[in-house]
Parts: sequence; structure tokens; C-alpha cells
Amino acid sequence: MAAPPIDPMHQFLVEKLIELPSFTIGGLTVDMSITNSVAMMMAASVALIVFLLAAGKGQVVPGRLQSAGEALYGVIDSVLVGPIIGHAGKPYIPFVFTIFMLVFTMNLFGVILSIGNLAGLELTFTPTAQLAVTATLALITFFSVLVIGFMKNGYKMYKLVVPSGMNLPMTIMLFIIETISFIARPLTLAMRLFGNMLGGHVVLAIFGSFVVILGLFGMSGGIAMLGFLGAGLSFSLIVALTALELIVAFLQAFVFAALATVYLNEVVNLGHGH
Amino acid sequence: MNPEDGAAPAATGEPTAATEHASGGLPQFDVATWPGQIAWFLILFLLVFLTMKKVIVPRIGGAIEGRDAKIEGDIADARRMKTEADAAAAAGAAELSSARANAQKLATEARAKAQGELAARLAEEEAKLAATTAVAEAGIAKARESAMANVATIGAETAGLIVERLTGSKASAAELKTAGNA
Repeated sequence: MAAPPIDPMHQFLVEKLIELPSFTIGGLTVDMSITNSVAMMMAASVALIVFLLAAGKGQVVPGRLQSAGEALYGVIDSVLVGPIIGHAGKPYIPFVFTIFMLVFTMNLFGVILSIGNLAGLELTFTPTAQLAVTATLALITFFSVLVIGFMKNGYKMYKLVVPSGMNLPMTIMLFIIETISFIARPLTLAMRLFGNMLGGHVVLAIFGSFVVILGLFGMSGGIAMLGFLGAGLSFSLIVALTALELIVAFLQAFVFAALATVYLNEVVNLGHGH
Repeated sequence: MNPEDGAAPAATGEPTAATEHASGGLPQFDVATWPGQIAWFLILFLLVFLTMKKVIVPRIGGAIEGRDAKIEGDIADARRMKTEADAAAAAGAAELSSARANAQKLATEARAKAQGELAARLAEEEAKLAATTAVAEAGIAKARESAMANVATIGAETAGLIVERLTGSKASAAELKTAGNA
């Protein structure tokens, strides 16, 4: 029996599920077909909305579901936006909460729905391991910060990249550095999330392949039986790495939301110390 | 999709269906899949964001704020009630002590009055008793006087009889009288 090839990238392949008409905008053809990526985004969006609507019962003494929803809301309200932006941050809670919940749910679905693979369903698809998705989210964040900044501060936005109280050569140098770091933000946001999700899933897939390959090798008998040991070791590593991936799923969503909050804070409280 | 698809076999050397994408590197860099994903993600992000803004955040945030306000209000109520209860307790204690003082005053007064009355009655009774005693003493004195007078007469008669028996002659009353007085 021939061992299957190690192909950890197969899980990132975007496949069409339902063909839908495409349209052309500015010479760019946008295919609106439902792919596995789009389907997973939809599933995550619907799931998080249903969950948060169910959690929003608003009882004074919350049940389990309401407590869970309020705990997630508390991460944004009283851990990120409240302490970082302060009272002026209240209007930005929906935006940050949307980023956090979307990333968190898509990350989580990529990990926990892989249980469907045991039943032969190819559900393991992580939209946040798609550069197209993370880049879009990063650009949404970047341009939202820019638009909010210009709406709140107008021309004074130059203070974001021009430090005050420096002599001229220093100011020019810092201006260049600040501008580069500002423009690099969407890139780092997109690559951080993409890389983390990609890396975790590739490692999981590789160890998964090891289980199969070493298991098949062990079945040839003799000294090759040691292959079973390797397969078992790989499997236990998968279990441990899956637990790690669950933490990463939350952590990367938290980091993305935290950075979005920090960037928002810079333009909301522009020139107020810091 | 990708023009490079299938151009070179994967590292395993076995061209299979799964390797058709692997030659060009990561499937994520297949730009042909980007416009659809970006468009759908923008739509979904907008939908989720609007739901958050209009429904979810007001609900959950409102629930948390409502709870905090209720807890704060309840604590304030409890604090106010405690203050009221403390004030009532203090008022009660003051009332009790004033009542006790009143009672003590009343008791003292009553005792003084009773003692006064008692003294008056005692004096009255003593006066009555003294009067009775005086009357009685006067009676006794009178009785004694008359008794003493009788004693003189009886003495004289007895002496007369004794004298008559001894001498055989009657003593005159005057003689007896002088003898009795001696």
C-alpha cells in the first residue's frame, strides 16, 4: 500500500462549491461563487451573530450563554477599549468587537471543525489562513483608522508622523521612520495573522501525515514495527498542538483587536500625551 | 486556475491530483481566488459590523451597564437604609434614656411625696395619741385624787373604829381628821 504524499498545503486550496455569476469592476473580474473559503466565512459570521444574539438576553443574573457572551464583550470593553482609549472609545467598541469576533470565530472553526475530517467531511478550512482575508481585514482596519483620524483631527493628523519638540534633522529622520512604520501596519497585521494560522495548520497536517505514513510503514512488519511508535508519538503531538492552536486562535484574535485599538487610540487621542 | 499548475511535480515525485497546486507554492498566493474572497469578506464584515452596532453591542453593553447600575443602586439603597436604621436606633436610645430619666424623676417625686404624707400622718397620729394620752392621764390623776380622798375618809373611819374599840369612846371627827393628816 503506497503512502499518500505529504501535502500540507492541500487544506488551503480554495474550491468552488456553488457556481455564481461573476461581475467585472474596473477591468477586474470578481467571481462571486461560493467557495469553501466563503462558506466558512459565512458559517463563522452566522454562528457568531446567532451566539451573540442568544447571549444578549440582558438578564440581571446571567445564564451560562449570556455569561460567555458578556465575557467576550468584556475582553473588548474592559480589557482593550476602556483602558487603552478611555471614555472616548465607546463608539469604537462595535468595530473592535467585530474584528475580534470574526477573527476568533474563523480561527476557532478552522481548528474545531477539523473533527469533521474523521467523518470524511473536508471541513478543515481556515479563512484566516488566507492572505486575501487577512489582508482585507488589515486594510479595513488601516483605512478605518485613517478615516476616523481625519474626521476627528483634520489637518492635524500630521502629528501622527511628525513628533513634536525635536530639532529639525531629528524631526525629519523620525518623520521617515514613523511614516514607514505607519504604512507597514496593514502589512504586519495581515502577515501576523496569516502566518500564525498557516504555520499551525501546516504543522498539524505534517504530523497527521506522519501518523499515516509511519503507521503504514509499521505494517510491513519486522524492525519497521517501530513505525507504530513514531505514529503514536506524532498523534500525541497532534493532540498537544491542537490545544495550542486553540490558544493561538484566541490569542491572534486578541492581538489583532488590541493592535486595532492601539491604532485607533493614536488618532482618537491625538496630541493628548502618549 | 494558476498558469503554473501542474508544470512541475511536487517534491514527493508522484504527480497526483493534490499536487496540481503545490508546484506554484502556497495556494494562498493564487491571486485568482482573491477577488471573490475579498468581496465576500467585505460583505460579511459589513453585515456583522452593522448587526454589532445596531443590535448586539447595545444589548450586551446595555445589560452589563444595567447590571452595574442596579448593583450600584442597590448598594446605595442599602447604605441609605443602614443610615436610616442607625438614626432610628440612636433616636430610640435617646428616647429610652429620657424615659428612664423621667421615670427616675417620677419615682423620686413619688417617694418624696409619700414620705411627706407619711410624716404628716405620723405627726397627726402622734398628736392624736398625745391628746388621748393627756386625757387619759388627766382621768387617771382625777381618779387617783378621788381615790386618795376616799383613802383619807376610809382611814379616818377605820381609825375611829379602832379608837372606839380600844378606848370605848368615840373620837371626834376633828381629832380623827388631824390624826389622819399627820
